[in-house]
Amino acid sequence: MIVPRRVALRSLFALAVTAFTGGALGRIATRPPSGESPVLSTGRLDPHAFDEMYGGRRIRGFSGPEGEPTALVDGRPLHLMRCADGGYVTPVDHYESCPTPLAATRAAVDELGTASLSPLAGAHGGHTAPTEGSPRGVHA
Amino acid sequence: MVYTRKNQRDLTGAERRKFVAAVLELKRTGAYDRFVRTHIDHYSADGEGRLRVAHMTPSFLPWHRRFLLEFETELRRVDPTVSVPYWDWTRDNSPASSIWGEDFMGGNGRRADFQVMTGPFAHSSGRWTITQSMTDGRFLTRDFGRPHDPIALPTQAQLDEVMRERVYDAAPWNSTSASGFRNRLEGWAPGRGNERFRVHNRVHRWVGGLMLGGGSVNDPVFWLHHSFVDLVWSRWQQRNPGAAYLPAEPPPLGDAQYRKVVARHQSMAPWGVTPASMFDHSRIYRYA
Repeated sequence: MIVPRRVALRSLFALAVTAFTGGALGRIATRPPSGESPVLSTGRLDPHAFDEMYGGRRIRGFSGPEGEPTALVDGRPLHLMRCADGGYVTPVDHYESCPTPLAATRAAVDELGTASLSPLAGAHGGHTAPTEGSPRGVHA
Repeated sequence: MVYTRKNQRDLTGAERRKFVAAVLELKRTGAYDRFVRTHIDHYSADGEGRLRVAHMTPSFLPWHRRFLLEFETELRRVDPTVSVPYWDWTRDNSPASSIWGEDFMGGNGRRADFQVMTGPFAHSSGRWTITQSMTDGRFLTRDFGRPHDPIALPTQAQLDEVMRERVYDAAPWNSTSASGFRNRLEGWAPGRGNERFRVHNRVHRWVGGLMLGGGSVNDPVFWLHHSFVDLVWSRWQQRNPGAAYLPAEPPPLGDAQYRKVVARHQSMAPWGVTPASMFDHSRIYRYA
């Protein structure tokens, strides 16, 4: 993983602070998605942080509001969907469960061709009332 | 009256043209893109704590049976002589197969951007613009066999292995179920590299492009693929007449799948029909 030097230094510093203060666990990121810091509000390293160029795209990962891994491809959100095997699929590649958020993001970039992500790629499978619907008989 | 779904390789030229014309008509009216959106909106993965109706779940098969029926009903409103043909990918397993002809599904995507350049669903035909997709691309894409890391379509031997299952599905009722017909056919498997893509999933991977993502319905070959998956299920049902849909009852409170899967007599969104009601299609259509 390629980590910018300043980010790496800041992470090291944060690690040291965390070790020194024995800071409590926390899951709230200190910055919105536009930030660069892989450090959580508690001073701990963000376990989902990555930031690299891959396939000509800038891909970034960080923890979302509830600690879930979140990714951006050229600044556009990519939904990382957790699988029961512990891996992740994305809306761009539904059939390959990748072991990490970074691997899943790279796999999505591999399939993008020349296109950019649409808003659906970030808010996908949002159906929340799955067993409801308008009953209709089999009509054929 | 019971109608017939045919092997696409047996369609006459006129039958191919009529199917394509009906699909293009649904695209023109906007009905097609609503089907694309329905599929997108019902994909949830099995590590996310939500109810799953369409993928990584026992109702994968009845959900898609109903989805095809809804689509076929719309097609038959346009042209009552049309049905959804099936693509037997164990036989027609090459980019040179007639299914990819210029009068039918069109061919592979080009190398630079995966864009399909031939056939009625090429963007340049003026009748197939993608609107519901995970990317802002407006053209159909394919990448047959993923040349940079080649993968082949499923074989007859692999399908035979699936057919040897004797139980419809098994706990934990998701992509990690080690046995059961449903997960073997859906095609989730542990392992490395291409081993992880089996049967149904592998076909989505082989076609590539839009077929690989949530917007797979944008590629009309989606319907021919799922028609064959449904045929395989239908043949399995004939061979295993006592094997009912499982789970019969909802997983209880305390079970990891509590409220995450659809039991035999629970309803499936968005239609409100049960898996049990989808079990017998013999009064609606048959396979040739």
